Amino acid sequence: MRIKSLAIAALALAGLAVPASASAKTTYIGSGSVAAQPVLQALFKTYEKQVNKNVKFLYTANGGNAGVKDVQNGTSQFAGQARTPLPSDAGTTYIKAFMDGLCLDVNKSNTLTNISIQQTHDIYRGLMTNWSQVGGNLTTTIDPVGRDTNGGTYNFFLQAVLNNEAPASNVNALTADGLVINAVKQDPNAIGYAGLAWQGSKKLHPLKVNGIPCQANKISVEPLKYPLSRYLFIVLPGDGTQSPKGLLKFIDWARTSKLAGEVILKAGGVPAFNKKK
Amino acid sequence: MEEELTPEYGPKWSDQRVERMLGALVCFVVGLLLAMIIVVFIKGWPSFAHNGLSWFGPGGDVDDQLNAIFLSGQSGAEYVYTFHAWPLIWSTLLITGGAVLIALFSALFVAVFIVEFAPDWMSNILQPVVRFLASVPSVIYGLLGVLVLVPFIGNNLISEPQKASVAGVISLTGYSLLAAVTVLTIMIAPLMVSIFSDGLRSVKPGWLEGSLALGVNRWRTTWKIAVRSARPAIVAGTVLAVARAIGESVMLAMLSGSVGFAPNPADGLIFIYEPSRPLAPTIIKNIDQLSSPPGSATLFSIAAVLLFSAATFSLAGSVARRAMRKYGAA
Repeated sequence: MRIKSLAIAALALAGLAVPASASAKTTYIGSGSVAAQPVLQALFKTYEKQVNKNVKFLYTANGGNAGVKDVQNGTSQFAGQARTPLPSDAGTTYIKAFMDGLCLDVNKSNTLTNISIQQTHDIYRGLMTNWSQVGGNLTTTIDPVGRDTNGGTYNFFLQAVLNNEAPASNVNALTADGLVINAVKQDPNAIGYAGLAWQGSKKLHPLKVNGIPCQANKISVEPLKYPLSRYLFIVLPGDGTQSPKGLLKFIDWARTSKLAGEVILKAGGVPAFNKKK
Repeated sequence: MEEELTPEYGPKWSDQRVERMLGALVCFVVGLLLAMIIVVFIKGWPSFAHNGLSWFGPGGDVDDQLNAIFLSGQSGAEYVYTFHAWPLIWSTLLITGGAVLIALFSALFVAVFIVEFAPDWMSNILQPVVRFLASVPSVIYGLLGVLVLVPFIGNNLISEPQKASVAGVISLTGYSLLAAVTVLTIMIAPLMVSIFSDGLRSVKPGWLEGSLALGVNRWRTTWKIAVRSARPAIVAGTVLAVARAIGESVMLAMLSGSVGFAPNPADGLIFIYEPSRPLAPTIIKNIDQLSSPPGSATLFSIAAVLLFSAATFSLAGSVARRAMRKYGAA
């Protein structure tokens, strides 16, 4: 009996494995940014279904820095990245894919509507510690929440807001964007930052930054209206021309086609170069 | 039939095959373990070599140091290794020590109750429940802590004047020693209870009956005979719990507060509300630094310290257990 059921199990396993290996699809392997993942996955899905049925994408969201490393040593054919190039990224090419806005969020019980980059800087550097110094209805101590050093969101915030100065020790650095959002939802005194894709909860209250609301239609290539707009990149090895043709075709499609633009917008990103019509 | 028993006729190794295969497997596992320890120490060596004993000492902001180490590897400038891990070590000591101490006493009483006092139907229910609790993945405790305990502490226990008194240095938001110790205690206590109760159950019934027959009451018998002779099991359970507590990283990364700050008992009551970050979560939080050579050396040096302390504890535990064996059970 036991041998029989084992044999059946083995057969079933083999049956599961066969369709995957028998298909003649070209698979492109990527890894990297967690922030870019929701949009990239949506793009992959649409491309596989509607544009080219013979390709398949595998994307592992292991963090932007790890993704670039994977491209450098050849484990991945492309990487998603949410920060600008660093000297350590030598031997790779960054291609601007689409845009994202970093929103500053407070708890819904906070009536503050607008915050300046300078105020944000002061809060995260530990210079402003009470909401009465910023405005709004609260007179309590500010609980600034941020990301830990892993990942592009932290690096972008560091460059765009903190002038590359390290955040103060009173900033609570959490391991994921979702945890930051969760902390702001639960703590009336908190302020945190996260990408557009994370907005939309009733318990959150996104702030205007320098008077401009954090909305997809305010984020555009030129001029950069919303101050915390950023590009999300696709990273390729070498000068970007040696990659497989099919992959380059996909990147071109994702950057320029109207369909891709709609997909990006729906998934929480902002199309940068896609045709409007 | 009888011929088969003599080795000349059967296959020579037939009775030793299992023995040799298992032996090879054990050698392989031990070799793997040794290789792992050697690799961790070699990889972490540059950090120890540059800092010497001050690696373990205080001095400067440990997060700034980690940042400088990381950046020096990223920008290709001269490598920086300066690292003073005292706030992380202090946090590990506080959280592990606090949790193990609380868990030790509560687990001992729970185990005594389950084995000696609870009616059969109750201990039949409690035992599987405790076993199950001991095997719950730590990330689940972490999630519950983030969603329930941390906001409760932050919004209900910590007052505004307390927060204002340390504003600009640290934030008292509920990510705290209290949250970390509470959840870690809940995590390791079931492990201790299940090992303690196994130890208590294996006490020779004759000893207990003898004591009861002499007119000693039940509580005194339990405390003086059962618990005393189960001491080796208590040590074993505590050592296992300490090892799990020291190595716990996911849950503590979520709850302890993520700042390289050394909570100061001189601050009074707010001491237990202060955030900190033990050694193991530091590795998780800075895992990106593996891409920078000095960063990876620093992370591996932290790993080496964790390995070393875990090994020391299990060694001390087995020595203590041997010394107590003369008292009987287990």
